[in-house]
Amino acid sequence: MIVGALVLAASGCQRESVSHFRVPKSAPAPEPAGMAAMPAGMGGGMGAPGMAGDVPPPAQPTGSSALAWTLPKGWNEVRGGGAMRYATITPPASGGKVEVTVIVLPGPAGGELANVNRWRGQIGLPPLDDAALASARKHVKTRAGDVSVYDFLGEGQQKTRVVAGFTFTEGNTWFLKMSGDASAVGARKPEFVSLLESLRLDAN
Amino acid sequence: MTRIENRPLRALLGVLTSLKLTIVCMAALMVLVVACTLAQVHLGTWGAVNVYMRSWLVWWDVPGTVLSVPVFPGGALAGAVLAVNLIAAQLKRLELSWKKAGLWIVHAGLILLVIGEFVTGMFQQDMQLAFEEGHTANYVEYPRENELAVIDVTDPAWDEVYGIPETLLARADEVQVPGTPITLKVKRFLKNADLAMRTPNDAPAIATAGVGTSIRVAELPPVTTDDRPNATAAFVEPVAGGRSYGTWLVSALLAAPQQFVYEGRTYQLAMRSRRVYLPYSLTLKDFTHDVYPGTEIPKNFSSLVHLNNPARGESRDVLIYMNQPLRYDGKAFYQASFGKGDTLSILQVVSNPGWLLPYISCVLVTVGLLVHFAITMRRSMRRRAAAAEAHS
Repeated sequence: MIVGALVLAASGCQRESVSHFRVPKSAPAPEPAGMAAMPAGMGGGMGAPGMAGDVPPPAQPTGSSALAWTLPKGWNEVRGGGAMRYATITPPASGGKVEVTVIVLPGPAGGELANVNRWRGQIGLPPLDDAALASARKHVKTRAGDVSVYDFLGEGQQKTRVVAGFTFTEGNTWFLKMSGDASAVGARKPEFVSLLESLRLDAN
Repeated sequence: MTRIENRPLRALLGVLTSLKLTIVCMAALMVLVVACTLAQVHLGTWGAVNVYMRSWLVWWDVPGTVLSVPVFPGGALAGAVLAVNLIAAQLKRLELSWKKAGLWIVHAGLILLVIGEFVTGMFQQDMQLAFEEGHTANYVEYPRENELAVIDVTDPAWDEVYGIPETLLARADEVQVPGTPITLKVKRFLKNADLAMRTPNDAPAIATAGVGTSIRVAELPPVTTDDRPNATAAFVEPVAGGRSYGTWLVSALLAAPQQFVYEGRTYQLAMRSRRVYLPYSLTLKDFTHDVYPGTEIPKNFSSLVHLNNPARGESRDVLIYMNQPLRYDGKAFYQASFGKGDTLSILQVVSNPGWLLPYISCVLVTVGLLVHFAITMRRSMRRRAAAAEAHS
């Protein structure tokens, strides 16, 4: 028993120490396991992107620096609605799960390529390079500036789809992402694009 | 004189070999099973098993104080004493003869069963591997434990990954990251916390760098159920070469890592599930979820996985499905869950050095009973033959 207790104590100490691994660079990681167990269809991905760069400026998206938009008819919105969300927007029911999240972060927030590849990773698609990113990008003109729009369809038996807008304005990066069942997202895409087109700075 | 010296030893041996001790241990284990079952309502299965079954003592937090007192033997203690009791009783009572060979084997099997459960309880590691179709993973994660990963991403081909366990962050004021010039000062640790965008009315942020400057952090009580992990967060200040790089918020809710640069080397900070990298990789080629025709009732889940281990020259496909795990390199990969429109597969990865012991014990008990039956039958037949001879 003494030997057993010593082995146990040793194994306990082992778990307290800093581990070190040298690993080859990999593709974007999947969602954390806890998120992955979400019900099928929504595609997870509600976590916020992070921040790259050395000590970015702490900007606040309030007042004149905050984005505003016009909701399509029948759509609802709540401020917040989840960790890190600026707003959560819910379209009317259309035969499948679909949700729009708005996240805003100060600074470049990891950059466009990293975030687009993160979205693609969330629906099981491989990462893009800079050239492929440019060809996948569409543009929407708004009063708050140019918005990059991406539309990706995931693989699998029950297809998921992400349509997302990405814009940098007043020192903040804004992400407006519609995700869910492919058919429902497809049905709501024209209204979502109209929402993107309505983007403006709150002061305007 | 000798008799006096041996008296305590004899008394101890008497206690260790007594049937009363066996009954006390069995009763304690029964009480623990009932208490553990009831406690699952509040603690979840994993938490209750840890508190009652995989502990030496069951502790009670005295209400209104910081005191914690032991109130009952834990499953580990009761099981260990029972194992010692069974071994001692076996050695004392069972005569060493061929006639008793079957019973010796049966008892050895039972003792091995208790030891097997003890080894499993104390040394089994439960991890997870979540990956999507087309993705390759070379690591497994502990779903209920977090770590602060400090990753040197400078090299274009390799990452140097340093994992600081949350238990170390919780009790240390500062952590020197071995192999790097970085010391992390831990300003605050939160086992579970919710994040929200800051508003102008919030108190000043603790974070002075990174995304944390725009985030409000609210401490939450630790999760006690099985369905959600803790969203662990911390405020840490990296110091390297005598320079502070500001105070950063790291949280399991922040999906992408944050980074700073020291002398041309880029270091990322990310709070995430505790990760163990493997010397091989697994690629999910296809996940299949079958249902009974005309219903939504699951019939089968299976993951077609490609195993690639360059060190051993292995490159092969493996089908993992219900009750058919992949056993490889001391780990068993079981199909556990799925998600994201049947494109994501979650494997439970179990590392248990004692996994063979229950099988061996069952074989021993079976063989022992057969041997005992054969010996008894042979003896009985001899008696009958002798009786028949006497009558004739």
